[in-house]
Amino acid sequence: MNKKFLAPLLIVLTVALTACSDSKKGENYTGMGDGNLPGGDQLNTGIPQDRLPGSINPDKDVNYQMLQSDTVYFAFDSSTIPGSERAKLEQVRQWFEANPGHSLFLAGHADKRGTPEYNRALGERRALAVREYLVGLGLKPQALYTNSYGADRPAAEGDTEAAFSKNRRVEIGVVIQP
Amino acid sequence: MNSFHSCLRATLLVTLLGFLSPQLHGQIEVPVATLVRVGIGPIGGPQGNMVTQVLSTDLKRTGMITPVESEAGDYQASGDASGAGLVGKLMNKKTGAAVFTQTFNGTGRAAVHQFADAVTQAVTGVPGFASSKLAFISSSNGAKELYLADIDGASARAITHDGTISSGPSLNRDGTRLTYTSYKSGYPDVYLVDLGTGNRSRIAYFPGINSGPSFSPDGSQIALTLSKDGNPEIYTMPASGGAAPNRITRTRGSETSPSWSPTGDRLVYCSDDRGGPQLFISSSQTISEMDHLVTGNAYCTKPDWSADGKWIAFTTRMSGVFQIGVYDVARRTAQLLTTSGGQDPAWTRDSRHLVYSNNGRLYLLDTLSRQVQPIDMSVAGCSEPTVSR
Repeated sequence: MNKKFLAPLLIVLTVALTACSDSKKGENYTGMGDGNLPGGDQLNTGIPQDRLPGSINPDKDVNYQMLQSDTVYFAFDSSTIPGSERAKLEQVRQWFEANPGHSLFLAGHADKRGTPEYNRALGERRALAVREYLVGLGLKPQALYTNSYGADRPAAEGDTEAAFSKNRRVEIGVVIQP
Repeated sequence: MNSFHSCLRATLLVTLLGFLSPQLHGQIEVPVATLVRVGIGPIGGPQGNMVTQVLSTDLKRTGMITPVESEAGDYQASGDASGAGLVGKLMNKKTGAAVFTQTFNGTGRAAVHQFADAVTQAVTGVPGFASSKLAFISSSNGAKELYLADIDGASARAITHDGTISSGPSLNRDGTRLTYTSYKSGYPDVYLVDLGTGNRSRIAYFPGINSGPSFSPDGSQIALTLSKDGNPEIYTMPASGGAAPNRITRTRGSETSPSWSPTGDRLVYCSDDRGGPQLFISSSQTISEMDHLVTGNAYCTKPDWSADGKWIAFTTRMSGVFQIGVYDVARRTAQLLTTSGGQDPAWTRDSRHLVYSNNGRLYLLDTLSRQVQPIDMSVAGCSEPTVSR
């Protein structure tokens, strides 16, 4: 009799404790503070999106090596830009000012621990968050393009947290003018 | 005070679920005595053996019928495959009356599947799903391509050879059309495929992502996720494209994976507006209040609404492993259906069985008995199944 309920009771206690802390977070969370940058929770501001002009191929005409060190990494299941990534976007702004006439292609990705649709939307929100933040830094929205690859183009293979953390990213691509 | 109350509520809810959990993992054996016994034979013609074998497997797969030696049984299924088409006959052995005699005009196995479904419907009152089609994604050739197969895994073949990412297929009810997401253009766009003619057309290619398309029950519309207005939200649009999409959600979160109610008036979908991904129901016609489906789990995605409207299957994640859950629409409660892993459930037309994927293989789950059988396929690396009804 006791043994039968021991496991569920343990589950109850564990989940109850987690549930308590989660609900607190839900009441106070605004997406700002805790060292995180706004952008992840301030979408729908009406900055129009668009795709690269038809002659430009996002798979071939985007150089991801140039600004590879500025790849923005994200926390699990989150599209909020961590404060620790702020300096990278400032570097992107500086590069952009020093290299006028270029467009950037922001490619959003997710680690594979999500269902495919959810990952595609997560990658999209991450790319949009970076785009919004760069617009906030003064870059013209018309020079910033976005795309999401969900979990389909991992940077690192494997089932370790090390691999997962390398995949939760937005890569800053430079559009190569034909 | 507020957080104390919500903590208390959470604890009470989880206590309830905790006490339910010993039942969630058990398998229920449906007693053999309650299965309908159908004798099979004789089947005339050179294909007689094949017909007998396929018919027997199809009937057994329903979980409601046990095929027996032709002399025993409550019913007798016999036929003749020597002419064009398969003539199938079902007799009630208790009354001696013929239940039906019918010619099934499909070729080969397709005709047998139709026969099996007719037998299932006649002896159980529940539709059979042997003639259903299965579409899914496979990465076996390197790139993620779209595949079609019979629901028993036979005749699996690739229908795209694009060498790019294909994702999220949805079959319409009668299996004549399919919609899915492809990166052929370099961006995630939604395509419509006419499976009869093989014609493919691009129907949604707005800026941002176009993904997760799902046919309405009557096949005239699709619901999908578009991020063209700044954030991934649910929209509906005519399946043929053309008209502007109708917006269904407006939140600061992402909405994905819409699935239609069988009457077409509502949509169930996943939204992370409250933090983690959860399931919600809204009107399919206009932006409306979002009804949160409380499942007791912090991660719920990819819902699929059963044909009888009573169940919503979904993918949940527990201790880092995906499992299949089911939500009882009337009772507003949820249960786990798997313990060994599973994701992306798709109901069959009997609202009792569903197909899901786990570690690159597809499985058929009987949600009543909890029995699972793998769908034997010549293709590996399978995911994202969809089933015609």
